[in-house]
Amino acid sequence: MTAQTATPTATAPSQPHSAQRRAAQRRKRLRNLGFFALLAGPNIALLLIFVYRPLLLSFYYSMLQWNMGSSVARFIGFENYVRWFTDPDTPQVMGTTAIFAVTTVGGSLVLGLGLALLLNKKIFGRGIARTVAFAPYVLSGIAVGMLWLYIFDPRYGLLSTLLEAIGLSSPQWYTTSPWALIMIIIVYLWKHVGYVALIYLAGLQGVPQDLHDAAAIDGAGKTRTFWSIVLPLLGPVTFFLLITTILSSLQSFDLIKAMTDGGPLGSTTTLMYQIYVEGFQTGRAGFASAAATILFVILLVITAVQLKFMERKVHYA
Amino acid sequence: MTTSRRTTPLWTPSRRSLLQLSGLGAAGGLLAACSGPSVGGGGGEEEEGEATDWASIEPATEITWWSNHPGNTKELEESYIAAFNEEYPDIKINHVTAGANYDEIAQRFQAASGTDDLPDLVIASDVWWFRYFINGQIMAIDDVFDHLEVDTDDYVETLYSDYEYEGKHYAAPYARSTPLFYYNKDIWAAAGLPDRGPETWAELQEWAPALQAQVPADGQALGLGIGPSWAGWWFSNVIWGLGGNMSDEWTVTLDTEEALAAGAFVRDMYNGEAAFAGLGSDTNADFQAGIFACLLGSTGSLKGHLDAAPFELGTAFLPNGPVDAPNVPTGGTGLAIPSSRTPEQQLAAAMFLKFLTERDNTALFSQSTGYMPVRTSAVEGEIMAAVYEETPQFRTSVDQLQQKTRVQDWVRVFTPGGDQIITDGIEELVLAGANPEDVFPDVSSKLDVAFEDNVEPYL
Repeated sequence: MTAQTATPTATAPSQPHSAQRRAAQRRKRLRNLGFFALLAGPNIALLLIFVYRPLLLSFYYSMLQWNMGSSVARFIGFENYVRWFTDPDTPQVMGTTAIFAVTTVGGSLVLGLGLALLLNKKIFGRGIARTVAFAPYVLSGIAVGMLWLYIFDPRYGLLSTLLEAIGLSSPQWYTTSPWALIMIIIVYLWKHVGYVALIYLAGLQGVPQDLHDAAAIDGAGKTRTFWSIVLPLLGPVTFFLLITTILSSLQSFDLIKAMTDGGPLGSTTTLMYQIYVEGFQTGRAGFASAAATILFVILLVITAVQLKFMERKVHYA
Repeated sequence: MTTSRRTTPLWTPSRRSLLQLSGLGAAGGLLAACSGPSVGGGGGEEEEGEATDWASIEPATEITWWSNHPGNTKELEESYIAAFNEEYPDIKINHVTAGANYDEIAQRFQAASGTDDLPDLVIASDVWWFRYFINGQIMAIDDVFDHLEVDTDDYVETLYSDYEYEGKHYAAPYARSTPLFYYNKDIWAAAGLPDRGPETWAELQEWAPALQAQVPADGQALGLGIGPSWAGWWFSNVIWGLGGNMSDEWTVTLDTEEALAAGAFVRDMYNGEAAFAGLGSDTNADFQAGIFACLLGSTGSLKGHLDAAPFELGTAFLPNGPVDAPNVPTGGTGLAIPSSRTPEQQLAAAMFLKFLTERDNTALFSQSTGYMPVRTSAVEGEIMAAVYEETPQFRTSVDQLQQKTRVQDWVRVFTPGGDQIITDGIEELVLAGANPEDVFPDVSSKLDVAFEDNVEPYL
């Protein structure tokens, strides 16, 4: 074959064959593309109409001075962005957003992994335990928030009763700044840990038993096996969860709305909640759209950084 | 196992990339689901068009009413609809629970602006109706009420004129209220106090130690919440009693000596050794449970307290300040008709609005809730006379309305977001014990910006 391709006379007969092969490949690619369009087309169309069109419109609205509900507006360029960056509330909003994101993402990953390890063991009632652990994730955030408000009530709540039983008094969860945010974070973790645990559980079950056996033969204990074998192999799962939990955390709204309405003293007002307050309570739709665009940019940057730097460190089995 | 990064072609779509993109997109497009505006320099006020000849219009056969059922009145409102349909069987009314409170309804109404998903009759509270007006979302009801021969002179003047701008009315009073002083007569007796409310805030301060001795350790003499649509309302009483106000028309006046004194008074109500007011997760329930000896609450809560309180309930006017002048704000909600509905729908809505505010219906509403009758004929009518006879507490709110009320400061009720900005400031005084000298300049500045952005261009 090599000798034939070395001479011009030998290449001539192979040209039609090569052209046929290219045509076949093109047809195959077109078939694949058609198949892809058939499967993904409806979803992409929905994304374009219901996600990207509003995204572009939101950017456009951020250039307007617009009362929510009004049929007219005034074009003011980037003034809403200037106002957002110079607003005295912005540092507090961004600080709250950062604290909320770091604690909820970190907490749900750590607790979710711990729960997954527990649910991966052969324990009695494991199936029921898995269902119970996941159940809060599918509940309505508003309903969860309302329920937990009763539990946290400093005067009548279950938590207050439990704390009193051990000689402690309940914090004023609703009216003091650090406790209100801590309350929201606790409830957020309770609601989302099941989801993280479920994904981790699937990852744990994908770790080949051979590797556990090999590690055991080499004398590695359970702790060593976990840190050196299991955790690195969970890298892709962790990477996936990191992205989805950050996105979810930064867009969290329902619990804050139901439990604190952004207070007290704005201490639970995240960037997401600020968008709601400015858009729907204060009525500054243009300003709120600018804040929404800023949130989008932040998410875009976080995701891009994760894709660029973190995925390199992920180990694929 | 490999330890290298898996290479992926740049444009290969994957579930993860689609997920990321959809998640990011959702964050950016939060507000864009609402209908957008047209860009121009003019205002949003309803444009003067050709006047509708209401006599030539036939009412629509189906209309929608958005309500939050103020004072737990869903069943009562349904009974109104049934009674209306006995008179007008061809007009079907869709009764929609469009929110849990005035703010939720208002947010939904604004978000639905420019779409077909609008009601024909909507709750329009004291802090929201003007925003609807400047956005051009509601119509003036004067002409259609003339056509329907609604006796507007019989509306309690203060309550109807609350919805007036440049000689036109943009809503009719429905569930109207004032703040009221409620007290627990059992605790009052145990504290050795006369069976009446305090004449002044100073008197309540004097009584506070005796009252606090009668409530649990985590209780307080006075229960007084600080939520939106509420804190700025009762603060009106405090600041007016001290001779100040929040604004003179559109000019914010929170920098005056009187306003700062009012801020300091509110701060000290909750903070320091002489504090006598407290917060609760549900202040009304806490009052009924005896955690608070007295309470400032809406008149709309009167029936609820009468039904739930296990003690004899006392009602009184709000305390005065050093300045003897009207110092009680009106509030609650009216009903407005959206300007974008068809004349047929608007006429049907106006007919129902007329029906809802007729003498016996408003009296029944008052009897069932504690909200004030909106017609003078109802205030002194047979139904209310029987109510006053049986339950004298109902009379207090009506007397207070007639003797002590005044128009609210514009900056709270007319400036979009004004109430929220003022509420945030009061929150700082109460929860952080901040000084009004530090809080009010920021509040004033935000109110000025809200006016310049959201009112001035539209007037």
